[in-house]
Amino acid sequence: MSTAQGTVAALPAAAPRPARKVRRPRNAGPGPFLWLIIVAVMAFSLVPFYWLLNTSLKAGSALSSGELFPSAPTLANYVTVFQDGDFLLSIRNSVIIAVSATAIAMVFASFAAYALARLRMRRKAFLLALILSVTTFPAIAIAAPLFSIWTQIGLYDTLLGVIIPKLTFALPLAIYTLTSFFREIPRELEESAYMDGASPFQAFYRVILPLAVPGLATTAILVFISVWNEFLLPVTLTSSPEARPVPVAIAFFSGTSEFDQPLGTISAASIIITIPLVILVLVCQKRIVSGLTAGAVKG
Amino acid sequence: MPAKAPAKPAASVDGMEGMNVETIPRGKAPRRAGQLLTAVAAAVMLAACGGGGDTGTTETQSVNPGMADGASGEVKLCGHKDASGINRGTVAEFTKENPDIQAEYVEIGANSDQSRTQMVQRLEGQSAECDLFLMDVTWVSEFASQNWVMDQTELVSGYEEGTIPSTLETALYEDKYWAAPFYTNASLIYYMPDKVSAPESWQQLYEEAGAAPENAFVYQAQQYEGLTVNFLELLYSAGGEVLDKDGNVTIDSPEAREVLEFMAQGLEAGAAPRSVLTYDEDATRLAFESGDYGYQRNWPHVYRLLNESALAGTFEVAPLPAFGEDGTPSGVLGGWNLAINAFSDNPEAAVALINFATNPDWQKRVAADYSQAPVSEAAYDDPAVQEKMPFAQQLRESVEGAKPRPKSPVYPQISQAIYENAYAVISGDASADEAVTRMAEQIEAAQETF
Amino acid sequence: MAAGIDQAPGRHTGPGRRTSARPGRATPSGRTQAERRLARKMVAPALTVMALVAAFPIAYAVWLSMNQYSLRQSGLSRFVGLNNYISALTSGEWWTAMGQTFIFTAFSVSLEIVLGIGLALLLNMAFRGRGLLRTVVLVPYAVLTVVSAITWRTMFEPNLGLVTTVLNALGLPGGDVVWLGEPGYAMAVIVLADVWKTAPFVALLVLAGLQVIPTDVYEAAELDGAGKWKTFLNITLPLLKPAIVLAAIFRTLDALRVFDLPFVLTRGANGTESMSMLAYRELRENRLVGEGSALSILTFITVMVVSLIYIRFAGGNIRAVAEEKE
Repeated sequence: MSTAQGTVAALPAAAPRPARKVRRPRNAGPGPFLWLIIVAVMAFSLVPFYWLLNTSLKAGSALSSGELFPSAPTLANYVTVFQDGDFLLSIRNSVIIAVSATAIAMVFASFAAYALARLRMRRKAFLLALILSVTTFPAIAIAAPLFSIWTQIGLYDTLLGVIIPKLTFALPLAIYTLTSFFREIPRELEESAYMDGASPFQAFYRVILPLAVPGLATTAILVFISVWNEFLLPVTLTSSPEARPVPVAIAFFSGTSEFDQPLGTISAASIIITIPLVILVLVCQKRIVSGLTAGAVKG
Repeated sequence: MPAKAPAKPAASVDGMEGMNVETIPRGKAPRRAGQLLTAVAAAVMLAACGGGGDTGTTETQSVNPGMADGASGEVKLCGHKDASGINRGTVAEFTKENPDIQAEYVEIGANSDQSRTQMVQRLEGQSAECDLFLMDVTWVSEFASQNWVMDQTELVSGYEEGTIPSTLETALYEDKYWAAPFYTNASLIYYMPDKVSAPESWQQLYEEAGAAPENAFVYQAQQYEGLTVNFLELLYSAGGEVLDKDGNVTIDSPEAREVLEFMAQGLEAGAAPRSVLTYDEDATRLAFESGDYGYQRNWPHVYRLLNESALAGTFEVAPLPAFGEDGTPSGVLGGWNLAINAFSDNPEAAVALINFATNPDWQKRVAADYSQAPVSEAAYDDPAVQEKMPFAQQLRESVEGAKPRPKSPVYPQISQAIYENAYAVISGDASADEAVTRMAEQIEAAQETF
Repeated sequence: MAAGIDQAPGRHTGPGRRTSARPGRATPSGRTQAERRLARKMVAPALTVMALVAAFPIAYAVWLSMNQYSLRQSGLSRFVGLNNYISALTSGEWWTAMGQTFIFTAFSVSLEIVLGIGLALLLNMAFRGRGLLRTVVLVPYAVLTVVSAITWRTMFEPNLGLVTTVLNALGLPGGDVVWLGEPGYAMAVIVLADVWKTAPFVALLVLAGLQVIPTDVYEAAELDGAGKWKTFLNITLPLLKPAIVLAAIFRTLDALRVFDLPFVLTRGANGTESMSMLAYRELRENRLVGEGSALSILTFITVMVVSLIYIRFAGGNIRAVAEEKE
């Protein structure tokens, strides 16, 4: 992330945008009524998360009490989660799947998005509509045919077999978002590259790509989160802990019988895997916001 | 999905590849991309549909006990998450006693729904990955009618004696055994003797439960399979049924109306709290653990959990009661059977594993080590089992009196027709009369499924 | 994500600017040819991947939807044309599920938009703790959907849930309501859970839009003597329209395909079964492959139609691209 930040910081100097007055937050702070709203909003956002945390600290009969605070907080659930080798394996799997799907999607999508945003091409709008339409297809209908193909070509229950179909949904998201970012970059910059004798492709990777880093970062984060969260494809296309990602592994936590839902363990596992994502969002929130601001919504 | 498209002869696949290789160097970029796409798509399509055609068979395959002699190699049992460890334990012990065979338990789903989906997908792709399936008792008809599992009539007939008859019935479809009962399940009534008395009949239970809010009865009335089971337990006790021996729909009966009205009134009168409309097994158990209720209907696994809770030592267990003064108590069987994949490469080892899992010695361990209800009668009398499961006799009574759920390849649809309409009545949205009529109509429509 | 809002009202630059900036203008035909070739090459890899893993399964699902597969006899199937569609469209189930999905979508998306705008306005103010507020509202966005569904279910558990406990402790009415067991309330809880998780997403998009509204617009309004509320209504809101529309498109597409929330919270009881759930039930539970595939395709078509309507009336990236005809 540090390189990306560096680039962003340097961006205004490197690529003078058309000077534009931007509205700064007004100085008038919120009044007492607004403060009340702010507190309410924070409470609404945090209460379910608190409840999850609360549940994760309970064990045994405490789970069947409606206590607002765990009277005998215990880390037993966390110990269970970390002792579960399969769960640790699933974290590794999720990282591999999410990172590679995001990386591959970003490479392919940046090519496609550049062509759609900048190059002459027939039936552009149709292509973009087609790409977007893929995202509207219910995943259950795709999962079953994929299963039968994957088992026959040996991709079933492999990380690669999960990564490839994740691309189907990651690509449209990335293409659609990146197309917008690329469209915002002033054309004058490419024009001067052409003057220097660059080919369109050189103009793309020497001029446009470096300028689009904030947009690329925003897109990558959105794609990463969506890939990380998706459940239906991996649950259909994996069968062993060696290939199973986190959302599926959480579903695999079980109590002592088929009927028993180990709420405490599930909550602890949820907290454990949510925290890195919260950190990611926190670290990147400025990036997300500034990326959006810089690239997308032009006044 | 069901492989039906006749497989293209292998030559056409080769042809496709040939074209592919040939065209690329010459073609211009855009055309090349388009052709590549078409070629790849075509190849994928062949891969998807092609597998089935040549090996597709609808013939029934069967196994016999003798096949196990000299069996060797690998054998895989596939099923859902092994919560109690019984499945892993069984294959491990089996491998230890039969060093020529390496048995393995593979978890293919987090719960039984997912596990069924995964099995169906494998079977539609005619996969030989799993040799045995750990099958919920309600799937047997469906899998048997599709010829997805092997006929085990000869094998299972061999140990009919000594096995609880009701459990054998779950493995039966059209007079043949398609699976071997492995461990079973039947529900029990848990109650608090300081507040209420032992259940003699459902009427008496509801009456006592309605006497005070803290005596109330909690069960599973969420709109799902569990509600079907809860309703059928009362229906069977009242002498009603869903399908008769020939598969005709017989649920449209006075018994069904009476039972539904009884359940709806129970909610209205406060004998059962309205919250049961959101309860599954686990939610029921948690609610009962809070100590706010008098009776609970649940499976045997709850016994140990209750003993780890604040209620430890204060509750009692009873088999399900009868419906009415002189009715016969009945219930619904749960549990798991072992079926052999029709596409298995090693049915010999699969038979050996079934022989091992069902023999009375191992059945005792099923109960003593893993707290599951054995299908072997002798296991219930074993002192070690009785020590581990003090309620063994009640459980045995429940299992012996219980019946299977309706046998049909379209069971999931039948169950939906039951729980959706039962839910409507219990929640107060429909009258028992119209709901039962609709149940019957929907079950008949489901049976007409092609 | 905040893609494609190119032309905010009042800032039309006209197509001329773009055309003049086209690299191909100097030597039209040669450049154009080269560009088209390059464009095709650049789009090809992404399209290939999508064709491989999406187009084929979709086409396959279309084929499945026109057949019927026997549940009684293995391997038996017959071509039935559009019969599965006809029986779906003439069944009450499909229309009920569709109605329920639209109710869910209408409530959740409009609430998310309103709350998202409010949240964005808050975040756009200067006050101590703005960073904290931004951090806090983003937490729900990071929680897995399945996890959030389980959390909301336990919160609304009739006896042990947070909501009942708090209501009873405060002596408020509603302590005895079985939230997930009553038709209206069950839907309300599902909407609430969805709003909780996705309002921050809308807020982010709107905030991005807010931050680029030029100050001079407001200065002009102040000179005209417009009040705060009037300024918001007449100036801010119209300028935010592109961002709001974009958020609404993405949210609507997602909401129409809702599955996890009702699946975990109610299993479809009490008027909460969505289109995706119905398709799932037929495909997975009942193994009615043909009927289930037809329902998936119908869901797909419904979502497509709604998104086309959005694009037709509200714009977005696609229209921007389409306007840029050669």
